[in-house]
Amino acid sequence: MTLFHFFNCAALTFGPHFVYYTATPLSEYDALRTCWKAALVYLGTTLVKLVCLATFLQVSENDNFDVSQESLKAVINLLDVLGLYIALTQLTYRNISQNHKFQAVGLCWAFSDSLLHRLAPLWVGARGLEFTWDYLLQGLESNANLVFTISFTALGSLMWLRKSKPKFIVPLIYIAAAVLITMPSIINYLRQGLSWDFSKVVAFELLASLCLALLTWQLFIACQRPIGQ
Amino acid sequence: MAMQRTLGAEWGHAMLGLLCVVAACIGVCDAVSVVDVYRMIQYDLQGVPFGCRRAALNHHASSLLLFSNSSQASDLSRSVIIVPVARASIAILKDLIQKKQILGGLLLLLPSRFSSHGSADGSADSEDIDADMLENISELEQLLIHKTLPYPVYFAFENKKILSLLREVEENDAAGKHATAVTGGYKLVVPVSEPKKLATVSLSNLQAWLPGLRGDGDASQLPTIAVVASYDTFGVAPALSEGSDSNGSGVVALLELVRLFSRLYANPKTQGRYNILFGLTSGGPFNYNGTSKWLKGFDQRVRESIDYAICLNSIGTRSNNLLMHVSKPPDSIYIKQLYDVFKDVGSQIGLEVTLKHKKINISNSRVSWEHEQFSRHRVTAVTLSKIEHAPDLLEHSGGIADKREKVDPSAVAQVVKLTAESLASYIFGHQGSPIEVFADGSSLAVSHSYIGSWLELLSRTPRVAAFMSKSDPLIEAFRKELSEHTPEVSIHNEPFDSSFVFYNVPKAELSIYQVASVGLDLIILVAVSAYLFILFVVLVISTKSLDDLVVMFRRPPTKKFKGA
Repeated sequence: MTLFHFFNCAALTFGPHFVYYTATPLSEYDALRTCWKAALVYLGTTLVKLVCLATFLQVSENDNFDVSQESLKAVINLLDVLGLYIALTQLTYRNISQNHKFQAVGLCWAFSDSLLHRLAPLWVGARGLEFTWDYLLQGLESNANLVFTISFTALGSLMWLRKSKPKFIVPLIYIAAAVLITMPSIINYLRQGLSWDFSKVVAFELLASLCLALLTWQLFIACQRPIGQ
Repeated sequence: MAMQRTLGAEWGHAMLGLLCVVAACIGVCDAVSVVDVYRMIQYDLQGVPFGCRRAALNHHASSLLLFSNSSQASDLSRSVIIVPVARASIAILKDLIQKKQILGGLLLLLPSRFSSHGSADGSADSEDIDADMLENISELEQLLIHKTLPYPVYFAFENKKILSLLREVEENDAAGKHATAVTGGYKLVVPVSEPKKLATVSLSNLQAWLPGLRGDGDASQLPTIAVVASYDTFGVAPALSEGSDSNGSGVVALLELVRLFSRLYANPKTQGRYNILFGLTSGGPFNYNGTSKWLKGFDQRVRESIDYAICLNSIGTRSNNLLMHVSKPPDSIYIKQLYDVFKDVGSQIGLEVTLKHKKINISNSRVSWEHEQFSRHRVTAVTLSKIEHAPDLLEHSGGIADKREKVDPSAVAQVVKLTAESLASYIFGHQGSPIEVFADGSSLAVSHSYIGSWLELLSRTPRVAAFMSKSDPLIEAFRKELSEHTPEVSIHNEPFDSSFVFYNVPKAELSIYQVASVGLDLIILVAVSAYLFILFVVLVISTKSLDDLVVMFRRPPTKKFKGA
């Protein structure tokens, strides 16, 4: 019965990544090789981040929201941007178009993240007798994270890979990217500073991710247009 | 190590840092609550099994309503019935125990005031334990002790968490929604292995000699007066059998007597011509098995040198009537002599001492009073007690209802004073004349604070002999206290070879899980699959085309969902 629950949660957490891969043309391009490389970059980035966090951050005894510590964390989180930059621009991929490359990198990035951060707690927790909604919420959070990451890689590919784009759109792209980068800090603030429920935080994340995804989509289309015309 | 700790903590930070995931997952563990539970005694008496015969528990929680409403036995065998002893009707509870109904388990909740470590949830409820409740619990205890229950029975203290759980369960039961595997609810789990027999049980008797003054060239042995109290207990829950009155009060009185007489004997001018032998004996609830062993261990001459043995038992209740239980006929010269002294002193300090005679039946193995063991060894002995009738086996042995509240320290002090004065006047031969050796305010006054502090300690220490090791901290504390006041202290460990066999697991931890029903899991499964399917369809249509989707579904669609 509890294995059942574990299965449900795992399906919710990791299912969308597979569905995304199989449903979109990514599967037809054999993007797995791209994914594999991006996953390695993710792993490296996470390790560097860990070392940075361990070196610079103090252990806080309470769960209060400490502005200086959080800003430090936000700076360290910029390493993610660096990692995505490397994954998007510095690695050479064969056989894949720009549009699919960012999707493959984003998908893989989000999947590795879910795998590293969510699988172990899920395995330990969701199989226990105690029933909580937390693991399902965590699965939803993983979905939001997928949308976030793909949005961000889309913006990244606009920023770094696309040479010709309408002038008026450039600042918008940077603003959207900035919002995406600060998202973890915002969520942290909601969680600890305002001490929201986990469910509320997840709802916010889902909503925010959808909004940002729509915005990114519009930007992407806007960039696409001049080339098409 | 500090480095490791920092790294470990930073792991948490790292996880929080980007996507703030794991904190919630760690928090999840708090949702499971763990309660200390105390298992009901399990023992064999002459090969006959008694008590609760199981320890492992893994069933759904339900309330007494389920028992009183329904008659299906199958329901109950898979549920743990939670009963708040203070509020539940004792009659129904008795009915439940008397009927040979198979339960999944029984969890009896004692009022939080019963916890010797303060109320469990820190709430200071000033509600006193009333006498009725103690009476009920004591009655229930006696009932349970002599029953054989084929399911696990645990005791726990009420706290907010467990009471709110009980309320919820009661509401469900009242609404007819019984907790089973299908409807969810709470699951109570005690993950212990089956109880095993305790291999070797030893009884530790402590003895302390306070030597009397020997005249010059007086080679003959001095007569001895023995003061004895048994310190161990027996109750329905061994880990809760603290026995404040039976026989904590007797032990406290004995320790105070040791202190007083050591002071008196410290000065050669007031040192009497009697040795005083103090004995803290074990095995009291089991026909004073330890006392018997201890006496057998004595040299014949030593045993014969004992003039009197005074046993102290359950003297802590508030009452002005103290009984002197004897087994020799009351008109015997020895008894009369001792009784007169006690009676005279008693009348001076406002305590009425009554003589009560009960003949020993040698053929009966039951020994109701400690002095009977002495009498069987031809030593004149009496028991001072506030209990009127000779207790049955395992009755008045310091069970869960025998709490600190039952004992009045001033009542103990009064008996101490009586005994001390009587012994002094016996030793110094001042019969009849009103002298006061241990006068209040003098350096030999009975110390209320000493009595109070020992009483507190004993009321917090479960003392069932089977669960005490030879080096138990309490035995060590007794030894230290005795050797502080007397020159010669020794511990005699005797094997406990009576017809009792005990089983382990006196206490355990109960985990309470809120579990979901299979139905809910099914609904979630359907929802998740629907979500993934819709996602798939939307993505295919938006990135490829509708035709592609149709083409895909010509092939077996299950292949597409291998990841989901």
